[in-house]
Amino acid sequence: MNLVRSELLKIRTTATWWVLALITFVLWALTTLINWLQTSSLINLGAEATEGLTPEQSEQVLAQSDIANIAANLYTSGQFFGLLMVMLLGAIVVTNEFFHQTATTTFLTTARRTEVIGAKLIAATILGAAFWLVTTVLNLVVGALILAAYDTGSQLGSGAIWRAIGLNALAYALWSILGVGAGVLIRSQIGATITLVMVYLAGYFGAGIFFLAIGDRWGEWFQELQVLVPPLASQLMITGTELPGSPPQWVGAVVLVAYAVVMGVIGTLLVRRRDIS
Amino acid sequence: MNLRHLTAKLTIETFATQMGNDMSVGQVQHGSGGPPTAAAPAPGEIVVSGLTKQYRGVRAVDDLSFTVRPGRVTGFLGPNGAGKTTTLRMMLNLVAPTSGWATIGGTRYVDLDQPLRHVGAVLEASSAHKGRTGINHLRVICAAAGLPKSRADEALELVGLTPAAKRKFKGYSLGMKQRLGIAAAMLGDPRVLILDEPANGLDPEGIRWMRGFLKGLAAQGRTVLVSSHLLSEMQLLADDVVIIAAGRLIRQGPVDTVLGSMTTAAAEVKVRTPQAEQLAAALQAAGAAVRPGPDGGLLVTGVDAPTVGRVALQAQVELHELVAERPDLEGVFLELTAGKAGIR
Repeated sequence: MNLVRSELLKIRTTATWWVLALITFVLWALTTLINWLQTSSLINLGAEATEGLTPEQSEQVLAQSDIANIAANLYTSGQFFGLLMVMLLGAIVVTNEFFHQTATTTFLTTARRTEVIGAKLIAATILGAAFWLVTTVLNLVVGALILAAYDTGSQLGSGAIWRAIGLNALAYALWSILGVGAGVLIRSQIGATITLVMVYLAGYFGAGIFFLAIGDRWGEWFQELQVLVPPLASQLMITGTELPGSPPQWVGAVVLVAYAVVMGVIGTLLVRRRDIS
Repeated sequence: MNLRHLTAKLTIETFATQMGNDMSVGQVQHGSGGPPTAAAPAPGEIVVSGLTKQYRGVRAVDDLSFTVRPGRVTGFLGPNGAGKTTTLRMMLNLVAPTSGWATIGGTRYVDLDQPLRHVGAVLEASSAHKGRTGINHLRVICAAAGLPKSRADEALELVGLTPAAKRKFKGYSLGMKQRLGIAAAMLGDPRVLILDEPANGLDPEGIRWMRGFLKGLAAQGRTVLVSSHLLSEMQLLADDVVIIAAGRLIRQGPVDTVLGSMTTAAAEVKVRTPQAEQLAAALQAAGAAVRPGPDGGLLVTGVDAPTVGRVALQAQVELHELVAERPDLEGVFLELTAGKAGIR
């Protein structure tokens, strides 16, 4: 507990957290604006929207225009960049120690290194949860206002919405853990930051394009493998209803938990063995 | 001064009486097994046994064994690259030894409960987050070590850094950084202090302060181990020295004894006499080596100046000059470690 307190104090006493929080806020505002525009087009969807599409495609479009999905999208707005930021913060929690050579002091204070990594994982998770909490409060206000403007009701009575919000919290926590694991693997502060941003963006868009190009060539089961790509898994977790052609939301959670556990364990084992010099 | 220090002092005195000035007990049993469980060492005593670190192609530390006693300042000397830092880091569980072990008060560092309350270490001056204030740096450590926040203020006061408490680390001078490092080491009021090249980058005033500070800690009965590549600084500071080169032990013992033994062997006595041949013969008979000096005098090695005087008196030789030329200690030190240092 002392160690977690120390780790949180480390974060609080430097500028990193509020710089990232500021960036997150700006990106959230942008994303929410886009989601608002998307909402208006989805709600005003006419019959002509599905003209010329295959039955499967039109099924997907209609599922997206389901009010549960529109609302879930608004209440979890900002997730895409928010997750990137909490992951970076998790990585910085570790790479700072090497960048500023504080690893020596840290491991002198606590000779049992597993405890240090454990504390960092917990502190990063708490931080991720804080980012989620602030974003969600903003989303609840703004989302409800947008939905009210379209006379659709806030949808907050729906269980699906709260499940999406809850799984979104899990996503924030898990991505923080992924960040800590990545920070151990890539000790260079700049290297870790650049690599994570690249992999996150390339993973998301690259995989999206890849699976689109493959199409149904290898069958529907292959499309469902999209969930193995971490950013796609976290997106799946926050859909309001099960989308046609996608696995259920909990599969996304399982995939991310698996990634987080693997990264956390590898990170801990590495730190236990490594010489600090 | 509390009871703990008093006990430590008593132990040291008893210990010193038993040991006399002989420090050759450093060679404890070797072996890659764990530290011995029997024969508990004195509290605060550092024991290094058979410590070895093999890096890819380089043996940075090679079967090193020595002990460091409480209540004294021990200088850990060696040229740059001799393996001092690696040795200190192995003692502190930061670097894993290839073989051998080190204990502090009979316990390995990793097994210490709340290590900061036993051992304080200053390893590198620039080991704090540049954007964090000095006081917050210490508070972070206090939180992790379960020490009260007030210890951070006390430690800053101790090293005279209170005025700079709320300044960010990046604005500190090298001397201030060293002081902050010492403050961090003192947070847990440890019995043992380990410092790696603390005089590096300090101005003369800072060095003088450091010397007084460390001597004061040793006088309280604490163990103080200071590494340095500067022999001259250690002469003023250390009670004992451990000298290594190329990862191996060269000498260890009280500083006067070690330096004495280093200098007697190399010391020269310059003597001038009108009866040079007669004196040379008498000195050679007494076991000295004699060669002609630059200005008609004699250079005598192998015996000290009083012996030369006595031999001259017995041989009834008139002396005009008798000078014991103490060799430059740095020179002797370099000679001792020569060929073993350098880039490896």
